[in-house]
Amino acid sequence: MSELATKLDDLYARFERAITTADDERALDAARVAFLGRSGEVTAVRRGIGQLPPAERPDAGKVINAAVERMEAALAGAVARIENRAFDTELAQSIDVTFPAIAAPTGSIHPVRRVLQDAVAYFERHGFATVLGMEIEPDYYTFDALNIPATHPAREGFDSFFISDSLLLRPHTSPMQIRTMQAHKPPIAVVAPGKCYRRDAVDARHLFQFHQIEGLLVAEGIHFGHLKGMLTGLCRELFGADQRVRFRPSFFPFTEPSAEVDTTCPKCKGGTAACNMCGGSGWIELGGAGMVHPNVLHEVGYDTGIYTGWAFGFGIERLALTRYDIDDIRRFVDCDPDFLRQLA
Amino acid sequence: MRVPISWLREYVDLPRDAHEIADRLAMLGFPVEEIAERPTISGVVVGKIVTIEKHPNADRLQVCMVDAGGETPLQIATAATNVAVDQVIPVATIGARLPHLTIEPRKMRGVESQGMMCSAEELALPAEWFEDGIMQLDATTPLGINVVDLFGLDDAVLDVEVTSNRVDAMSVIGLARELAASYGAPLRLPSFENPGTAEEPAGAAPRVTIESPDCTRFVAQRFDGVRVGDAPVWMRIRLALAGQRPISNLVDISNYVMLETAQPLHFYDASRIQDAHLIARDAREGETLVTLDEVERTLTPLALVIADAAGALGLAGLMGGAASEVRAGTTAIVLEAANFEGVRVRRMSMQIGLRSEASSRHEKTLAPALTEIGAARAAQLLVQLGARAYRPRAFGADLVPAPAIELPVRDVERLLGLKLDATRISQHLERLGCTVTPGEHTLAVTPPAWRRDLVIAADLIEEVARVEGYDTIAAIEPSVPSHDIPSAQYDLETKLAATLASLGYHEILTYSLQGQSVLDKVARAGITPSHDRVEVRNPLSEDQRYLRWALAPGMLEYAARIDAPVRFFEIGHVFARERSVGEISMLTFGFAVEPNDEPAWRDTHFLRLKGDCEALLRAVCGITVEATRDTRAGLHPGKTAVMMHDGREVANFGKIDPRVAHSFGVRLPVYVCNIFLEHIPEYRTPRYHPPSKFPSTARDLALVINLDVTAEQVSSVTRRAIGALCLGVRAFDEYRGPQVGEERKSLAIRATIGRYDATITDEEADAAIGRAIDALREELGATIRT
Repeated sequence: MSELATKLDDLYARFERAITTADDERALDAARVAFLGRSGEVTAVRRGIGQLPPAERPDAGKVINAAVERMEAALAGAVARIENRAFDTELAQSIDVTFPAIAAPTGSIHPVRRVLQDAVAYFERHGFATVLGMEIEPDYYTFDALNIPATHPAREGFDSFFISDSLLLRPHTSPMQIRTMQAHKPPIAVVAPGKCYRRDAVDARHLFQFHQIEGLLVAEGIHFGHLKGMLTGLCRELFGADQRVRFRPSFFPFTEPSAEVDTTCPKCKGGTAACNMCGGSGWIELGGAGMVHPNVLHEVGYDTGIYTGWAFGFGIERLALTRYDIDDIRRFVDCDPDFLRQLA
Repeated sequence: MRVPISWLREYVDLPRDAHEIADRLAMLGFPVEEIAERPTISGVVVGKIVTIEKHPNADRLQVCMVDAGGETPLQIATAATNVAVDQVIPVATIGARLPHLTIEPRKMRGVESQGMMCSAEELALPAEWFEDGIMQLDATTPLGINVVDLFGLDDAVLDVEVTSNRVDAMSVIGLARELAASYGAPLRLPSFENPGTAEEPAGAAPRVTIESPDCTRFVAQRFDGVRVGDAPVWMRIRLALAGQRPISNLVDISNYVMLETAQPLHFYDASRIQDAHLIARDAREGETLVTLDEVERTLTPLALVIADAAGALGLAGLMGGAASEVRAGTTAIVLEAANFEGVRVRRMSMQIGLRSEASSRHEKTLAPALTEIGAARAAQLLVQLGARAYRPRAFGADLVPAPAIELPVRDVERLLGLKLDATRISQHLERLGCTVTPGEHTLAVTPPAWRRDLVIAADLIEEVARVEGYDTIAAIEPSVPSHDIPSAQYDLETKLAATLASLGYHEILTYSLQGQSVLDKVARAGITPSHDRVEVRNPLSEDQRYLRWALAPGMLEYAARIDAPVRFFEIGHVFARERSVGEISMLTFGFAVEPNDEPAWRDTHFLRLKGDCEALLRAVCGITVEATRDTRAGLHPGKTAVMMHDGREVANFGKIDPRVAHSFGVRLPVYVCNIFLEHIPEYRTPRYHPPSKFPSTARDLALVINLDVTAEQVSSVTRRAIGALCLGVRAFDEYRGPQVGEERKSLAIRATIGRYDATITDEEADAAIGRAIDALREELGATIRT
């Protein structure tokens, strides 16, 4: 018995030496074949069981099996050691993760469109559709139908580019109010973003072409409080949750009551006299709004006894200037690649 | 309009703080553009010069004893030369603070001086509008009282913006009424009673003949015993604070009443009106008139004039004439308080190129009732100056009260979302001057005579909301009813923009209006436009005369400006004139890029552009549109393709013609793709085709073909010859060179062959390729390279 044990101990010691010194998977496999293989040394020892007295044979089998288990465990450890050595080489690598990224070849959407899309998304989430119109409009849609007759002094306020006696580049997106109401029966819930033109000399605050977003909600039971609700929500969507919105009385021929809409300056939060964004007033003017004038509803054949509605028109460049803290409106048309990349 | 707060305080009690008043005005619909704060002035009182003596030690100085209301007169040395005994003047006493100095007792050349007599400038009034030297106050001013309080010199001046519908509020009373209504404070108005009751001497009664419907009303009133001189100091200071230069008592009164009531006035020297008979009529063609500003103006019938039998005396509501102007010796005057159609005044003003404070009010059409009010206030002030007033005589339309407006009480809540009871609604309207007769469910509201903008119930509801305060209306998100208005066009643009951004293009905006220079650049490259340009009639400058007919020219200018590799796109409208003006939506994308070193028959940039175009269209319409060779003006004739769908051109693309690029000054090659948004096919949802479960095989062929045979022809012949076993054909290489000869090119294609029901055998594949080779040889004259 002790003879067998001694033999197995010696066997194990030699096996262990072989797998410890093995440098790769092949050497390891050779050791495995030599000791644990079909005609390996362990098999030779097993054959020797038959020469033992019958009473000792079962124990001898157990002892041999235990030794094999030990050897296999040692082998598994050696295999893992060899495998891990390959990972270790890779894991030993280390780089400077602060090294500048290799830029993705991405493009960008113009900041004006991005603000427009965000505003539209807010309204679409609330059930509004988005409609687009033409930039050349007859004066009927631009003025007459909007309760601005030819003699009205407000007409000159829209210093428009004329194509002919009656065709002009739209100075506001409000013609879409008429076009939408003529094309559809109430209820109406639309926003109409688009390009507009006015004869303004180009400077840091003015372009002769700009974008507006028009909004129109006409249905039963719509009132001024709903206008305040939606536009307050819009300002918070665009500028942040703590944004306050102010509605001041104003005059537009196509709304009554009318309002100018201001929001708290997102830069100075209504604080400093030196703020270059709001000029120290603490407020940013967004545009006009109001309840649709009964004459406008009459013009499209809507029953003012049933339907009321509101409309607004905001300048998108103004929103974008405020949102991205841009110093000069001309940057929108210069489209310097650095400008576009910074705001991408 | 510049409004001194001190003037407003005459009619209504207001808070001390100018910013609070400005905010209140803004919330009433009258934004304040500027709050001009006044410098702090204190310790200035009214004094009277009792004696004047020469200074013992200085020739230029005089020593005055000034009674400033105290126990003993003050001794004040002065260098001013306009001082005289009995003059009433402002005196800065010891400790007084003036804009640039504090008064302390001091010795002037050895003589004690206990204060300083002040000039207008030292009281922060425009020096050039007042007398040189010490300011002269009215002799009756009580001595010792505070000059700053007396004239409101410390109150800020507001620059108030008044919307065009509220010309009645282009007046101090108008704004005071708004503030009184909003604060719920009483309004103290001056009397609008005209003191003139006497009949004129025989033949002196003014008569007016109105020949134009644009003169709606004309109140004329005669005054005798007028002495032209300076207006009272308080009036001059008020005008100066309001930004109006004091001129003479008569001019100042007319300006004062206009600023106070909004009604412009004009005074004629009565002796210069022939037969005391005024005529309001159209000007005669070529008629001339020298206006108050000494400019001779040649008129057309567009001008409305006030004339006498001899000719025009003034431009109605715009500016008086020099000939009938009041002057130093004038003793009798005729006052004009007239009402004109705003459009007429505005058009005349625009045609003549002249605007005045008067026309800025008339052009918005004042209420006719203001004529009476203006005349009455002027008459009161003239009588105070010692003039004799005769009775006012009104011509033109009678004053008829506006009809009452029915205001259903529930409409206030219906429109505002704010519940107010009838009493409160009435109160607000009455504070603004309306007369309200309550009914069962409605109020009958008669607007005040000075308001022309209150016509329908909604107008009144706005008034109620203004007085109540817009900020009291709760903000509520509406529940938007469902509707079936589509957003398809917007969605398409959004998707196009997003796809191009993901393909590495930057969206840009260029001007829709272009100048002749852009047209010239195109013409210089030899391109004749296929359509006429749409021209703007009234451009601000020559660079904005034409509407763009394509997006590419603006992009070429952009590429020239950037002068570096750049990828860009723009979505916008373009315009052309055929029989009528046409406007379509376009998308152009492209890039300026460093040229590749490639043979003349290969252009990788073109293929990349084509790849982006296919990807873009696939994203928005779900299908791949085939490109065919074509030409388009502005694009390189050998590197242009178009994509057609249902007979309509969806896109064209290619390299910019080098002559065009040169003409625009673009150094780098530019490639663009133009897409017609209206022609993009509707999105078609792609269907999934599962791949065969059995392996397929790929065979490459190297063909030699004539130069004019296209990759598409080769693919299509191959596909047809292989038939049902063909899973795909793709050309992957082209070569030209000496090995294949001058007139031929080599094309490598890969055909994928397979079956859906079994693994394809080599024999089947060989047979299929054999069919393809035969067909290519027969139909396209191809030979196989080995």
